[in-house]
This record gives sequence, structure tokens and C-alpha cells, in this order.
Amino acid sequence: MKQAKHITTVQVAAIMTSTIIGVGVLPIPLFAVRGAGSGAPLVTLLGAAVAFVGLFLITRLGMRFPDQSIVQYGEVVIGKWLSWIGSIGVIGFFAILTSLTAREFGEVVITSVLTKTPLEVTVIVMLLLAAISTRNDITTFAYIHLFYFPLLLGPALLIVALSLKNADLINLQPLWGNTHKGMLTNVLTIASLFQGSFIITSIIPAMREPRKAMTASVFGLVIAGGMYVTIVAATVGVFGSEETKNLLWPTLELAKATSLPANVLERLDAAFLAVWVTAVFTTLFSSYYLAVKELSKLFRLQDHKLFSFFLLPAVFSMAMVPYNILHMYETIQNVGRIGLFVTIAYPGLLLVVAILRKKRGEPSEKRSAG
Amino acid sequence: MKSGLRVKKALLSAFAASFILLLTGCWDRLEIEERAVVLGISVDTAPPGAAKREGEISHTAEGFPVPDVHMIRVSVQIALPGKIPLGPGESGGGGKGSEQTVWVVGAEGHTVDDAIMNLQQQISGKLFFGHLRVIVVSEDIARRGMQNINDYFHRNPEVRRMAWMMICKGKAEKLMNAAPELERVPALYLMSTMDNAVKLGKFPENYVGMYWSNSAKQGQEGYLPYVELKKHQNIEVSGVAYFKDDKLEGMTKPFQVAAYMSIMGMNPAGYRGVVKIGGASDSVMVYATSRRSTIKVRMQDGEPIVNVSIFTEVNLEEKINDQITIKDSASLIQIEEQNKKSLQKETKALILEMQEKGADIFGFGEYVRAKKPGYWNARIGSKSKWQRAFKELRIEVEVDSKIRRIGMKAK
Repeated sequence: MKQAKHITTVQVAAIMTSTIIGVGVLPIPLFAVRGAGSGAPLVTLLGAAVAFVGLFLITRLGMRFPDQSIVQYGEVVIGKWLSWIGSIGVIGFFAILTSLTAREFGEVVITSVLTKTPLEVTVIVMLLLAAISTRNDITTFAYIHLFYFPLLLGPALLIVALSLKNADLINLQPLWGNTHKGMLTNVLTIASLFQGSFIITSIIPAMREPRKAMTASVFGLVIAGGMYVTIVAATVGVFGSEETKNLLWPTLELAKATSLPANVLERLDAAFLAVWVTAVFTTLFSSYYLAVKELSKLFRLQDHKLFSFFLLPAVFSMAMVPYNILHMYETIQNVGRIGLFVTIAYPGLLLVVAILRKKRGEPSEKRSAG
Repeated sequence: MKSGLRVKKALLSAFAASFILLLTGCWDRLEIEERAVVLGISVDTAPPGAAKREGEISHTAEGFPVPDVHMIRVSVQIALPGKIPLGPGESGGGGKGSEQTVWVVGAEGHTVDDAIMNLQQQISGKLFFGHLRVIVVSEDIARRGMQNINDYFHRNPEVRRMAWMMICKGKAEKLMNAAPELERVPALYLMSTMDNAVKLGKFPENYVGMYWSNSAKQGQEGYLPYVELKKHQNIEVSGVAYFKDDKLEGMTKPFQVAAYMSIMGMNPAGYRGVVKIGGASDSVMVYATSRRSTIKVRMQDGEPIVNVSIFTEVNLEEKINDQITIKDSASLIQIEEQNKKSLQKETKALILEMQEKGADIFGFGEYVRAKKPGYWNARIGSKSKWQRAFKELRIEVEVDSKIRRIGMKAK
């Protein structure tokens, strides 16, 4: 069965953006100021740059093998058994990422909105929603992302624009920050927030024009990265870097401190959280989809729907592992940074070997791609 | 076969969907009558003997020991459901003081949370802080340190950053019980006092969130409005209460708020000043309409020098007697010159006073940190070091002022 190639470049860019923007929106200013104080936007920018390296590698690989995803061309490039290890790493990592995203979502909801709802419920509802959605094929997947895309950018930009009247440029100077202790760690942490962009490997085989994949990737990353930098700059501009260090979710606090003109809404945090749920869903959807889809390719199955619910118990129990919110953030940061091996080093290795061994995907090759 | 499968699928997904409805449930349902909506909070020192009267609610003698801090008294103003006038139609009636719209209750405790929990033990509805508008802290508590208060309200997700926090002369609880005639809800009157002070240029916009941000900064200290309850249950904004770290360091006079706002270039401007020309009785009143200020930092011999340059636009509002005639633009120049001198003296005095206390409420340190990071990183680098350096900081003040209008009288 030849997979339908429907997905347009615009859709890919939308998928990239909405996948990258996720739970990370809330703590990202905190990670950034921990890196370099007032140089937080710079830290974010560097994080995006590191993330771009990974995205560049994976997109290059995808364009080299336009009909296959990483699990499939991994076998071609470094052989079956070695690639098994890599593929399991990718699938496992994205399963963990899914569970941690769901858990982080649950923690935010339970702290700020639904204090009495059990954590398990918020997590499982979100995971179920993602699991049900992953039963769709990739065309629907693309449409869902494209549909939510404007909803993600609009409100966030509105909050930023409204909060700018309280911002003070002094808070953002010097641009490179005063101290740089822990700068590298936090650059990597922020880079790890972009890891959802790995989804491109599953999309390229379904793209109408795979050679435009790089354009789409770059656009997606620039929009998402620009968004992150703007949010960080607005938050630090309003609160100052020292106060941002006191806040667990500075972006949420920014929404809380921002009001619509003429007293329409005195605090925007409820509105912001509503949008943020969508952002979390799209991220969760992508990472879950990636894990499910690649797992089915690993076992050479036509259909990935089987794994949607099969993975659910595992993902859910992993989400319950961290024993408190600080432990969760430590886990997220560590897992995220270790994940950079999966999302940067492994594709890098594949690309180098593919170039050395002159391996290249055959566009005409009739392969079964589920 | 195929349609049967589809029906089965549809049924299955409907089943799954119904599960989600079940799961989302109503854990957090809370009827509005069941929650005690807190509009204002006051924090005071507890009267002597409070420790003996306190029940063991958040601590016992054995397992959870009593914290070793001074006792405080926390009072809350709770909105009575159904009694708060909502529309313009309802607000016309009543006006018989605040007794009917809110309920003021208080309890003592060792910490803010301890006191609030002691209070919760006595109140049926769950205390809800989502509509908290005013936090009043008494002077002596603020002198002892605000860390505990700041921490509690910072951590609580319901509290908004747009609430007003103020320091009060004497007992803060009195402000909770105040029954102003203009507004039926006392906390809302307190809030509108501050909001209107901002609009009239009597006080800079300074919500609790801004105070937290300023206090956290390395090169700046926080400040809060200092208020006083007057005879007719009205509230006077009587200056800036300035802090050093989390401790109240002192209060300025009300007019010094104008000096502060001039240095910071804050608009709208609202204070009137008496400008004396020549003899003692030859004075005019002027008021500033807009202000601008630029703060620059330059290095000289390895030390930073802060240059503040203020520009105000002024209108003439009142003449004390007829000895001065204002009939040509030349006569205004004299007033301008005198106004400049007075403003310069006033602002310099305020800066000197702050330097003596080591409380940089202007954020000059932030300018040094932002503009001269090399110097800051090498020599300062922390809040306590800046507090010391600020005392020796050289600050230049330049003032320019122009009179634009004189009202509707020709001379």
C-alpha cells in the first residue's frame, strides 16, 4: 500500500509550530533567566539554535529518504540490529516525553485551577484524548494541527502585546546578562523544549513535495522560536529577571498580571490556560503519534491504530513516576537533555554514515509504509 | 458487515466519550454561597496574650511545633453573598455604612497561613482569595519584615498581582472596619482611593506585583503606599513607605511622592507646589501637567555617576495676592526659574534621604547593572553590596521646567 501524499508545506510548518509550542511555554522564562538573568531572550535564542541543528539533521535525512521515516532508513543506513537500538531509543524517548508532558499539564491544572481534581484524572483525560486522536491517519493529523494553529499564536501574542505597556527595557539589559552560571545547561534545557520538531520524520513520507521539507521546518522553527523569544522577553521585561526566578510559571503569572483594556477581563490567566490546553494537546498529540507510528513501522505493521491504546497504560504509569512537582521538573530537564542524544546525535550519526556509504532513498521504490 | 462495523465503531466511540464526561466530573464545584469571598485582608501585630488564647489548629505542642515568631492578627473582609450591589440600580439605595455588605472577622496566629487557618476553623465557607483587592499591613509588622506575608500571597494561586498592598499608620484592622459613605463596600473604597490617586497623579501605579518585582531586583528596593485613616472614615495617601530588602525602612512626606514621581518621570502629574517669588507673601501655586526624565549612567575614574535630568510642564493655578501681575511672558520666566530651583532642592533632598537609609527605590542600581555591566559584575553583583554602594553613589540632578498656561484669568 502506497501512502497518500497529501500534506502541503504550509501544513507541515503549522504542525512544526504547534508541536513545538506546548507545556514548555509556562516555565520557559524561568529556565531562561536561570541561564543568564537579563540575557534570557539570548539564552532562548541559543536554545532554538541548538534545536535547529537537530531539526536540520533530521530534515536532511528525511529529504534523502523521502519515502521513509527514521525507523525505516535507519535499517538501510546502519543495519537492522544497530538501528533497532536507535529506533527503540527514539520511540521510548517520545513515549516518555508524552508522559511527562501529560504530567506537567496535570500539575499546572491541579495547582492553579482544579485544586481538588485528582491528578490521575487530568492526566488520563488528556492522554485518552491524544490516544483517540492518534487513531486518525496522517492527513487528519495535519488538519487538526492546522486548525488549532491560529488559536495558539493569537492569544499568546495578545497577552504579550498587552503586557508590553508594563515592560521596562532596563530589565532586559545587558542583553548578554550579568552572570552566566549554568548558561549551557539551561540552553540545552530550552533546546529540549523544541524536541517535538522531530515529528518531521513521520511527516516527510506523506508530504506532497518532500524537497520543500526544509523550508517548512525552518518556518515552523522560526515561528515557534520567535514566539518563545517574544514570551521570554515580555515576561522578563515586565517582572525583571530576579522576580522571574521566584515564579514557577512566569508566563502564567504574566497572564495573571495582564488585563484587557476597559476592564473587559481583569486577569487573562483563565483565558490563557484555555488556549494553553490546546497547545498542550497538539504537543501531546504529536509526540504520541510519533511514538505510535514509528512503533508500528518498527514491527512492519500496516496500521498504527493497534498501538494507540496499547501504549496508554505504559505512558500513564510513566507519568505517575515523579513524586513531586520539583522532582518532575528535575526529571523533565534531565530527560530532555539526555533526549538531545536521541534527537541530535542519532540523526547526526545516521546522516554521516548515509553520506559515507552513499545511501539514498529511491523515490520510485515500492515500499510498504503504514 | 461494513455498516455493522461502522455502527459498532460509532457506539464504541460514544461509549468512550461518555466516559470522559464521567471523568471530568465536578470535583471542584463550589457554589458561590459556600465560599467566603475575601475582598480585603489586614495584618497587625497581635495584642499581648494572644499566644495563650490561640487554639492548637496548625500546630500542637508535640508533633508540629509552634513557630518561634511574633504573633500576628489577620482580619479579612468577606463579601456577603447577595448584599454587594451589582448594577447601578441597586447601588442607589442603602448607603447605611458597610455593615450590611461585608463581614469583618479576624484571628490570631504565628504566621499568615496559621492565622488564616485559625480563622477558617471558625468560618463555614471556604475562604476564597480570587477577588482579593486590598492587603493592608500595619507599620510595625512591616518594620519587622514582610517575608512571610510576601511568601504567602506569592504562593497562593488565587491572589492576583493587581491587588493593592499598603502600609497603614496604626492598626490595619481599622481600615477593614472603616465605613466610608461613598462606596458600600469598604475594600472597594480603599481600592478606588488608590486607583484614583494614580489617575490624579498622587501616587505611582504600584500594585503588589510591581512591589514584588521591585523588591526582587538587585539594584532596586520596593515601596508601597503609606495610608492613614482620617476622622470621617476617609483614607489619606500620606507618602511612600520604602523598604530595604523586606523590612520597612521609613516613610516620606506626601509631597515627596511628587519628587519621587518627577525623578522617575511618571505621569500623570498631580501635585501642586507653592512657588515663592521675592517676598514671603508673593507666592503662586503651580501644578505640573506632565513630566519627563532621563536617567543616564556614566563612568568617571572607575566610579559610576548617575545623571537624572527632569523636565516638567507646569500650569499656573493660583495667585496668593495681587502684588504679582502676570501680564507678559517675561513675568512667567521668574516663576519658572524659582520652580526649577524648588524642584531641584526637593528631588535632591529625597535622593539624599534615601541614600542615608540605603534604600534605592529609584532603581539607579538597575541602571548601573543594565548600562555598565562590566563595573556591576566586577564590583557589585549582589543586592547587599549595592545597598552599601548606593550610599556613596554620586547623583546629579538637572531640572528644566516650562510654564505653559495660566488658566482663564488674563493677569
